[in-house]
Amino acid sequence: MPEVFIDGKRYEYDEEKDEMLLQFIMDQGLEVPFFCYHPSMSIPANCRQCMVKVGTPVKDRETGEFELDEDGERKIRWFPKFQTSCSTRLQDGMVVLTQESSEEVARAQKDNLEFILINHPLDCPICDQAGECPLQIQTYKYGPEGSRFEVKKVHKPKHVDLGPRVTLDAERCINCTRCVRFTEEISETHQLTIVDRGDSNYPTTGPGETFDDPYSLNTVDICPVGALTSTDFRFKARVWEMNQTPSIDITNGKGCNVDLWTRDNEVLRITPRQNEEVNDYWMPDVGRTAYERFNENRVDRPSIKLDGDNQSNTSWNNAIETFAEILEAHDSSDITIIGSPHASVEENYVFNKFFNLLGTSNAKFTPHIIPGSGDGFLITDDQAPNTNGCRVINLDETDNDTIKATVSGAKVVIILSDDLIGREVLSSSDLNDSYTISFATNNTDTTKASDLVIPITCVAEHTASYVNVDGRIQRSYPAKETKYTNRRLNLEMSEGRLDRFGTNFDNWVSEENKVDCLPVWDFLNKLGDRLGLDFEYNHSREIFSELSDSLDILNDVSYERMDNEKGVQLPIKQEEVKA
Amino acid sequence: MADLSFTEEELEEIERLKDKFPTAKAATLRVLWLAQNKYGHVKDEVQRLVAETLDLPKAHVHGVARFYTQYYKEEKGKFVLDVCTCLSCQLCGGYDILHHLEDELDIEAGETTDDGMFTINEVECLGACGYAPMLQVTNGVYVNNLTKEKVDKLIKNLRNGNMPEFESMAMPELEKRNQAASE
Repeated sequence: MPEVFIDGKRYEYDEEKDEMLLQFIMDQGLEVPFFCYHPSMSIPANCRQCMVKVGTPVKDRETGEFELDEDGERKIRWFPKFQTSCSTRLQDGMVVLTQESSEEVARAQKDNLEFILINHPLDCPICDQAGECPLQIQTYKYGPEGSRFEVKKVHKPKHVDLGPRVTLDAERCINCTRCVRFTEEISETHQLTIVDRGDSNYPTTGPGETFDDPYSLNTVDICPVGALTSTDFRFKARVWEMNQTPSIDITNGKGCNVDLWTRDNEVLRITPRQNEEVNDYWMPDVGRTAYERFNENRVDRPSIKLDGDNQSNTSWNNAIETFAEILEAHDSSDITIIGSPHASVEENYVFNKFFNLLGTSNAKFTPHIIPGSGDGFLITDDQAPNTNGCRVINLDETDNDTIKATVSGAKVVIILSDDLIGREVLSSSDLNDSYTISFATNNTDTTKASDLVIPITCVAEHTASYVNVDGRIQRSYPAKETKYTNRRLNLEMSEGRLDRFGTNFDNWVSEENKVDCLPVWDFLNKLGDRLGLDFEYNHSREIFSELSDSLDILNDVSYERMDNEKGVQLPIKQEEVKA
Repeated sequence: MADLSFTEEELEEIERLKDKFPTAKAATLRVLWLAQNKYGHVKDEVQRLVAETLDLPKAHVHGVARFYTQYYKEEKGKFVLDVCTCLSCQLCGGYDILHHLEDELDIEAGETTDDGMFTINEVECLGACGYAPMLQVTNGVYVNNLTKEKVDKLIKNLRNGNMPEFESMAMPELEKRNQAASE
């Protein structure tokens, strides 16, 4: 194996990977500061921060032996100047000194930071990036204590609306060109460029163009300073107040891996989580707006239609009693149950199982597909996160017309978390002749037309798995408390600083953002109790292990595997899109 | 502004330029130059025209045009006088020349005369330190070893439409050295 010596320690590397020094150093868990390098994009080496001292051993040309000095150590021929490690290819026998072992290198990095900071405003206290800012972090670690630059800083445009979702503060920009390279190499819209030169350059769009790239907010994530900020999230919260929970994007079929950032049980922003098998470091802008549906317009407490079209909130007991009475009053053949590609595998499974126990026929579902809306990258035609999941657990896949026909013949229609009216599968008059019960996370046209609405947890509130368009099963974690869960008791939930140190008497802790809803299985437990059914699931983990025991396709799949392997690829192919 | 377009001949010229380079992107500089010669500037609409003609991202052409000061992103006078005030010229009276020009034309550096004839710019080194002070006329001819009289004459000539001739500058020291080497 070829070898490389970093700070006096020997490492072996794989020649075939053709790695750059910086990436290799990071892969070993070591650190060299950098700004412009990004593992998924080209390497311009323009920030000059990742300087290291590099040398190669001197070989005798005739014998091919290493030349040794008087101590018997290999003679090293140092590169005449420091090299940017991001663009230095590994060589056999290479010797590298980083800031850890070379004062010269530490000094070079410090001086480079002083240069970068010359025109950088020191407005960290009001800058959105503070707390997750590579420039801030690295200045703390490697930077100078102060600046010797005592003249006025260069001023550039501030709060420029580059596009509908991205705001630019050009003064903070250090011209790493990550955003420009992103639009050139990843989203391929070529909407950004660097203009002007020297100390007055900054990124902007072409004349008369707006930065409306459907992936534009990724530039905010990769911006190593606070130059590009999300217009939506700007000034809403400091990063250290929030709490980060891994989850899955549910706005389309790709299932991008995301992090949900919450404060006081309100999801404030959604950022991509790296998974090279699905979304790499990226996600579409649309997926980031999903936080609104986790916070707002939620179905809070069960509601029931009393007279005419007036819905009124009711108690859980009343909801369960009404539900049970409706089920008891009807023959199971008169009950139609509709599963949902918008709900998780576990939800669909328990939903189907519960009503099957009562003798209904298998749940039907109709995929939510808008042909042509996908882009072949991270936006799919499929608008739902779990279409393949419904197929995996063998729900009956039908088209919109069949759903319409079945509903019109039924006396009781039970819908799981799917806005069938909103997405124009049904019209509200289709539900007039039947008693309609909706399990729903949000208020929609369908819940409006329903006679009984049961509030259920959304992806931000429960642990459940989803199968994406490529057949990869991935799971969510609860990020947001409901009225009935508690962060401190549920070890699956993460605690931010404010959660950990807050008490009910602190003004940053409130009850408002906790929704009065239950996981589907919890509600069905209660309903099963009332009906005398043998049905009990305490956690979605139980549901999933039952599934993996009973279905071959999920045989060796578990939550642990999904966690360790960032999702598990199931042996299914994407089926033809049915419109 | 009315829709801009290149004529048939210009398009042919652009094709010829494109053929010189492996990619159309590489021809950006030359085509911007051609456009500037035609319109006297490369304002946003001209940049758009260039981008469309070469089928390149508008942002790229914009970035290139904004990088080089020789591309005029606004309308300039018919003659742009770039007066060097970098070290050698400064020592030899570059600022005197600049201020004299400013007084003479009644504008400040960076401005254009009302009649649209002249623009004065204060620029950094143009690489003619050996014959300082100097100025450059519209990205072209250098006028060297300036004196106030020489400047006045230049202005008068330019007003009459006479561009200064290219001056081949003698470099006596270099010639001496070359001579010595050949002997």
